[in-house]
Amino acid sequence: MSTTTVRASRRADTPAVRVGPLARAARRFGVRMVAPSALLLVVLLAIPSLLTVAYSVHKVPSNGASLGEFVGFDNFAVVLSSPVFWSSMRTTLIFSAGFVVLSTVIGLATAVLLNQEFVGRSFARALLIVPWAMPWLVLGILWRWYADGSVGGLNSLLLTLGVIDDYQEFLADPTSALLLTIVAAVWRQASFAGILFLSGLQTLPAELNEAAELDGAGIWGRFLHITLAWLRPVLITVTVLNVIYAFLQFDVIFAMTQGGPGDATQVLSILIYRQLFVVTNIGLGSALAVVLGALALVGGLVTVKLLYSSESR
Amino acid sequence: MRSNATQRSQRLPALGRRAFLKASGGGLLLAAAGPALLSACGSGGGSQEAWEGPISMLGWDFQPDMIKQLVADWSAESGHEVDVAILPNVGYSAAIQTRLRGGDKIDLFYNFAYNSRKFIEEGWASTLNDLPGIDDLVADLFESSRERHVTPEGDIISVPYFSAVHTLHYNERMLQEAGLSAPPTTLQETYEQSKAIADAGLVSSPYVAYWVKEFCEEYLHTYLLAEGITAFDDDGNPVFADDPKTEGVFEWWQTMYREGLAPASVLNDDPGKLSNEMAQGNAAFFVLHHYFLTSIRDLAGPESENVLLAPVTAQNHTLQIGEVLQMGANDNEEARAAIWELMKYYGWKDGEGRYSVFTEWAKAAGLAAPYPGFFTDPDVVEAFPDYYDLSQLSQIFDTGSKVVPARTSAWYPDFQAKVGDVVHALLLGEITPKDTVAQLADAATSAQGSGGL
Repeated sequence: MSTTTVRASRRADTPAVRVGPLARAARRFGVRMVAPSALLLVVLLAIPSLLTVAYSVHKVPSNGASLGEFVGFDNFAVVLSSPVFWSSMRTTLIFSAGFVVLSTVIGLATAVLLNQEFVGRSFARALLIVPWAMPWLVLGILWRWYADGSVGGLNSLLLTLGVIDDYQEFLADPTSALLLTIVAAVWRQASFAGILFLSGLQTLPAELNEAAELDGAGIWGRFLHITLAWLRPVLITVTVLNVIYAFLQFDVIFAMTQGGPGDATQVLSILIYRQLFVVTNIGLGSALAVVLGALALVGGLVTVKLLYSSESR
Repeated sequence: MRSNATQRSQRLPALGRRAFLKASGGGLLLAAAGPALLSACGSGGGSQEAWEGPISMLGWDFQPDMIKQLVADWSAESGHEVDVAILPNVGYSAAIQTRLRGGDKIDLFYNFAYNSRKFIEEGWASTLNDLPGIDDLVADLFESSRERHVTPEGDIISVPYFSAVHTLHYNERMLQEAGLSAPPTTLQETYEQSKAIADAGLVSSPYVAYWVKEFCEEYLHTYLLAEGITAFDDDGNPVFADDPKTEGVFEWWQTMYREGLAPASVLNDDPGKLSNEMAQGNAAFFVLHHYFLTSIRDLAGPESENVLLAPVTAQNHTLQIGEVLQMGANDNEEARAAIWELMKYYGWKDGEGRYSVFTEWAKAAGLAAPYPGFFTDPDVVEAFPDYYDLSQLSQIFDTGSKVVPARTSAWYPDFQAKVGDVVHALLLGEITPKDTVAQLADAATSAQGSGGL
């Protein structure tokens, strides 16, 4: 369908409205009402972003007295030539992949489950909000205790299930520490995804599934071609948000491991925190932040592109 | 849907421009005129140039009620008002730097010694050279402690908030049960005794240490000094890399961890948990600041009474640490004089020449002050619990410990931030002791150069 056709059909559907001076004044009034908050948003987003970009090409003094000496792309050269950066990038990508996939899939599964009729459904739906209502930092501290090798409940649970035969120090092992930070972050994000998916599912007309069932479609077929197809716009939103949250994740990891053991969970945001707030190398920290921002942007755009192209297919 | 919305819009009065302006006009007028009216009625328009206080003070959350009480006592006596703000200890360094960078004016603040020279260079703190009585304060310090507060150029940059020495906390009963007559005096003996205690089945991992990333740098110096290794020369060069004994220290660390003589959890454990491990009898050795003996005893665990202090090693030195008080950048002479009075009281002696603040810290937590006179002051002697051997502690401060002057250099926080990654990689067996020496030397060199990640 071409753009012209859409415009034409919309014009045909829309009743003709006479735009008089009163209506124009009302529109202007509306614009003026929205303008301050829109301006505030632009300022709050644009100024820090522009400052970060400006800092990234300067050797900025720690005390913030001036922008400092212009150094071009030197800070980026330091970042890109550092093995610490590439190791952190690898950790960030692993963390992000795990975070995005698990929180999307678990969120979707939870929503599908909570969309069924069962006793206590309202209570279960109310519980879904609990992880999302918890601040990331508190969540990190809770999971740190939960994963503790002496007093944590995770060991007890896994021991009871027969998964382990002795208490383990999960956060002292590089692999399990990374895995646990992913699981902890997913625990919260999946609830957010679940809420969005559930709201999408509630708009799905029951007749569609009933008709498909009558036509002989199985559970998997109905899920794939009706439920998932209906949820595609929500899926795109959820996935893009998950990608952005993944790249910017800091609190949970910092509270659980501070990036350790070694550099096992040192994602880029922790590296940025260290440069900006501990070492106060503002130029280098800003260059890292620009790289991370670009990564999150590209990640989000690629996700949108992939999901939209699969939709058009 | 559309019809419902239409109906709703018909029922509700529309918010038009006129209605909005009518409703908000009065409010806006009041809001605009209010402050002007209030200021006209309130302040008498006094001079802004004369300093009237209050003094703003920032500290971290170690016994915040005690901090407020001590300051309130001083305020009551001096007549100067003090606004005390407390931040969490974890992340304090980042938080204070962010505040100062954002333009906060803080007159007096706690600081980590490793940040002190950097803060002077950034203009966030001022030197104390010309203040009345400062020379007496410096002369009163242990000679070993002076380099923490006085730069090689002679600038006095801070006064003590508290001080401590790294010591070995050991469980005497476990040693006896394992057939050991005295605590270890070398790193090799520490290894052998840990093994003996583990082999005797007393505890599986007898040695605990605060090996979290942020703290590894302190341990680095504790163990280098224990082996008689100089970490940095006067120019800040990492000469530890040239000393063949350094690799031996890292081999010892790796062995202790890899052989399970230290529990795997030490990479994440906080000192509270480690103190509890000693109190409960889950560990036999614990190296950290001397005052953790108070924590262990106060926990009143089954083994608390059996824990005693000894030097980390007998032959060489240990690390003397001390966090500091710094004066913010304030040009007003009157303000500086008042802040200095508070600093003297809080970091040295009160108006009657007594170590009254330090006495309270000693009583509350076993903290020490880096003044020889502190250890012989009758009030202090009475304040310290009797399980402390004050003459031993005083001797460690005097001749058995060093402060590592490079730790206050402006480049040092960059190095400090990198040590944890390297040490953890060593403990986890990801790099060899030889690589550890090289990587730490590189980290020190790069910190003094352009920085880097």
